[in-house]
Amino acid sequence: MQLCKRLKRGAFIGLLGLSAMATAASAEDTIKIGVIQPLTGSVAYNGTTDVNGSKLAADEINAKGGLLGKKIELVVEDGQCKPANSVNAAEKLIQRDKVVALSGAFCSSATLAVMPVAQNYKIPLITGVSSSAPLTEKGNQWFFRATETDALLAKSFAKILYGEIKLRKVAYIGVNDDFGRGAVAEFEKQMKDLGATTVMTEFFEHGTSDFYTLLTKLKASGADGVFVAAETQDGSIFVKQKAELGLPVKVFGVGSWATSDFIKLTGDASEGIYAAVPYAATMTTPKNKGFVEAYTARFKEAPGKYSTAGYNAISILAQAIARANSTDAEKIREALTKTDYEGPNGHFQFDAKGQASGFTVVLVQLTKGSPKVVDSATVEEH
Amino acid sequence: MAFERNFLLTALVLALLAPLVVQGDYAMHIGVNIMFSVMLATSLNLIVGYIGEFPLGHTAFFGIGAYTAALLSVRAGLPFYVTVPAAAVVAAVSGVLIGAVTLRLRGPFFVIVTLCFAEVLRLIANNWVDLTNGPMGLSGIAKPSWAMSGDILWQKVTFFYIGLFLVAVSLFISYRFVYSNVGRAAIAVRENRFVAQSVGIWPFYFGLVTFALAAAIGGLAGGFYAHYFSYVGPEVFDFSFMISMIIMVLAGGKGTLVGPVVGAVIVVLMEEYLRDFKELRFSIFGLIVVAIVIFLPRGLMGFVSKRHETYKGAGKALSADKTELRDA
Amino acid sequence: MDMDLFLQLSANGLVLGMFYALSALGLTLVFGLMRVVNFAHGELYVVGGLIGWALTETLGLNFFVTLAIVVVVLGAAGYLIDRLLITWVRGQGEEPTILLTIGLSIFITNTALLIVGTTPQTVLSPFKSKPLFLGPVVLTQSRLFLVAICAALIVGAYLLIQRTGLGRAMRATFQDPMAAQLVGIRTSHIYGFTFALGAAFAGAAGMLLGSIYVVQASIGGVVSLKAFVVVILGGMGSFPGAIVGGLILGLAEALWGGYVNTGYVDAIGFGLVIVMLLVRPYGLFGKRIERA
Repeated sequence: MQLCKRLKRGAFIGLLGLSAMATAASAEDTIKIGVIQPLTGSVAYNGTTDVNGSKLAADEINAKGGLLGKKIELVVEDGQCKPANSVNAAEKLIQRDKVVALSGAFCSSATLAVMPVAQNYKIPLITGVSSSAPLTEKGNQWFFRATETDALLAKSFAKILYGEIKLRKVAYIGVNDDFGRGAVAEFEKQMKDLGATTVMTEFFEHGTSDFYTLLTKLKASGADGVFVAAETQDGSIFVKQKAELGLPVKVFGVGSWATSDFIKLTGDASEGIYAAVPYAATMTTPKNKGFVEAYTARFKEAPGKYSTAGYNAISILAQAIARANSTDAEKIREALTKTDYEGPNGHFQFDAKGQASGFTVVLVQLTKGSPKVVDSATVEEH
Repeated sequence: MAFERNFLLTALVLALLAPLVVQGDYAMHIGVNIMFSVMLATSLNLIVGYIGEFPLGHTAFFGIGAYTAALLSVRAGLPFYVTVPAAAVVAAVSGVLIGAVTLRLRGPFFVIVTLCFAEVLRLIANNWVDLTNGPMGLSGIAKPSWAMSGDILWQKVTFFYIGLFLVAVSLFISYRFVYSNVGRAAIAVRENRFVAQSVGIWPFYFGLVTFALAAAIGGLAGGFYAHYFSYVGPEVFDFSFMISMIIMVLAGGKGTLVGPVVGAVIVVLMEEYLRDFKELRFSIFGLIVVAIVIFLPRGLMGFVSKRHETYKGAGKALSADKTELRDA
Repeated sequence: MDMDLFLQLSANGLVLGMFYALSALGLTLVFGLMRVVNFAHGELYVVGGLIGWALTETLGLNFFVTLAIVVVVLGAAGYLIDRLLITWVRGQGEEPTILLTIGLSIFITNTALLIVGTTPQTVLSPFKSKPLFLGPVVLTQSRLFLVAICAALIVGAYLLIQRTGLGRAMRATFQDPMAAQLVGIRTSHIYGFTFALGAAFAGAAGMLLGSIYVVQASIGGVVSLKAFVVVILGGMGSFPGAIVGGLILGLAEALWGGYVNTGYVDAIGFGLVIVMLLVRPYGLFGKRIERA
């Protein structure tokens, strides 16, 4: 009994310790920015590249003397792309680390769960990844999205799919999560409006390793093109197995398709496939050359979609802090609304809902192991 | 029995006073997490500790509770004090249904079949978009307006006390249940199924009652979770919740009401502290789990009571020696 | 056309089923025979795949040499895991074993993540992945080769258990450890050896399948779950059962995916297990009846 009381008391002392740590952390000589990304679990690969991009941005800023006379410090937490874990990470970053702003949380569902937390604590939250269109329709003043939505991507490229690649009978395959379902729904809608027919819509679970069933079904559906929403690991297997079955159907993908890992994994099988991405290392924007060189020098591979997303998110936040000339959250938020940032994939500004526009999204075709830019579109304010 | 009652009452008083002593939103957030975890651990412990079977799909009830509360709140606009009890009721009903199917099996078969149920439910939540909104999940689950009326600390403290109330209710019912005739019958089945049957206890029936109660508490935790995070998606059926629950129950000590409470407190605090180890944290966590199984086979409470017993036993033996000496 | 579709789907299902059987082979021994509910099975599979990738891709080692190394390394690791860890919880019911192996799986996954990173990788295979047309059915050389290896491994494991002295000792140990000890079997070695064999099979499966799919530190959980489904469908510890369990799962998934929808495909296995345990609690090929 005595011992148990002592145990319980120990737990409370633990709690006290936690709050003590929270106050100790506020003696700051750096500007802390919280980064919530999946570092374990099924999308860990993508989250890690996002963090790499974020680190590169922070290092570049610090090399130029930092912000407001201080260095930027990234505090990275693993949100696992799960809502509860991401919320816990956000609470920890805001309360214990006293971050001035957050970047995250990759999956739209996780970001959606973190958004009220950011609003509650009045901390700006920026995402470079979460593409589910409704996020910016929630009226959350503290949330900013520095990337395209599924709807914007669909609007930009459905025309090309229909007009130039001449897809008429289209099959849609997506990973069974918020991203896959969102992308399939938007593209299907746009393609239908243009007059294409849907011959098949299917979803698969993350980590699926055998796509023969889906591919057989695809073959039987008589589609002349297939739209695939998937990330590197699933997408690369899909493309490889499609080549194994010798299907002549044109592939059009969204997700992290134009990355060097994707091309390495698929080899010849990726020859000729199309992908719509907000970033490709072969883009010819003014800022991109330097970015690719710096990133490749540091991480020994060319940057992909998510590396750029992390890089942009941190850079935009840093510029806002510099413009605000303060680490006060409200002033940073004010400054974010006036964002005027030139990134590797073009220009970024936010509308009243926090949705970015002005940057470029590209349609690439993978040819001889490199993503060749076929067409590009600027995301307009709507 | 007296020990458990006294411990739980002391813990309750300490927890009631905690927000006065422990200041800070973050500590309160951890406090809410502890409350939610205590409910989950208590729920699992009823089955592991009192039926003696190991349901590896116990997240089914947590998830059903979370979805019930979320759907009633988002789709029907019902308030907190309706949705959370409803979550418990729906979870209890599903507990009876799933229990009726799974309790026929034992050992590893029970383990795997319950896991299968949880996985099937997760896939339904992911694919039945019309009902559950699929992987996009249900967001904007309303928090009670009186909880949202103050500043952030007030919100957290309110949720802490709501959680504490739900924990107290869960533990009170569990306590009454465990020390009732039904509870004793369940323990008899756990200890020796065949002897229990021979004295007229029908294992299936008592298992089912325990299952329903455990499911109801799991559902309660789910409802609380839904309103606190105000977001529910298919991940509520995830195996990761199950892993935390097992560790809480087995590290604390199964088959006691106190063990899971202690286990939940320790696991939540440990997970928080391990954050400081960054990339290494899960590797360390895995090692700690392995170490717990090997060095604390009966959990922390088992360890404490064993020390307690040997101490008392040693004392008795010593005094016996003395009397013997004196007699000689 | 419809017949062609059915043939292709069935062929896919059979190949997939053999792969499921292959990835469940180690668990058939460890869970089916030893009754160790091993949640680290998928992680052993992953480690096999990662070693396979590291040796073939980065060191340029021959595929079969690498396979032999994987078998030896995983076998040794499995033996150590049993003698150092599992032995503590032997005979104590499911809970400690499950918690122990879950702890182990968390440790292995995240340590692997630290060492090799998160990038998906593949094992370099000497076999071609070009399409082979057999009438209306398309297959590849690498898949046919894997099916053959899988069959060979299963037959080998079956003969080992049924026809050798070691296999007899294993069966005796799992039927009645006390009696086995009394007749002079060193049961602790038998436990260790069985776990080693299970780990070696898991690692080999991870490497073989890693040559046609991908190898990634985080995929262990899915592999474990499917393997449990296969072992239970096959009736716990029976090798012919594991093949049949794998084929049933593979065919059911392929036909359901092909004719209904693919979103629910992963639920098929779990649904089958639920139905199976209600109708035939000890599996299709299970003979043993549980008793107290």
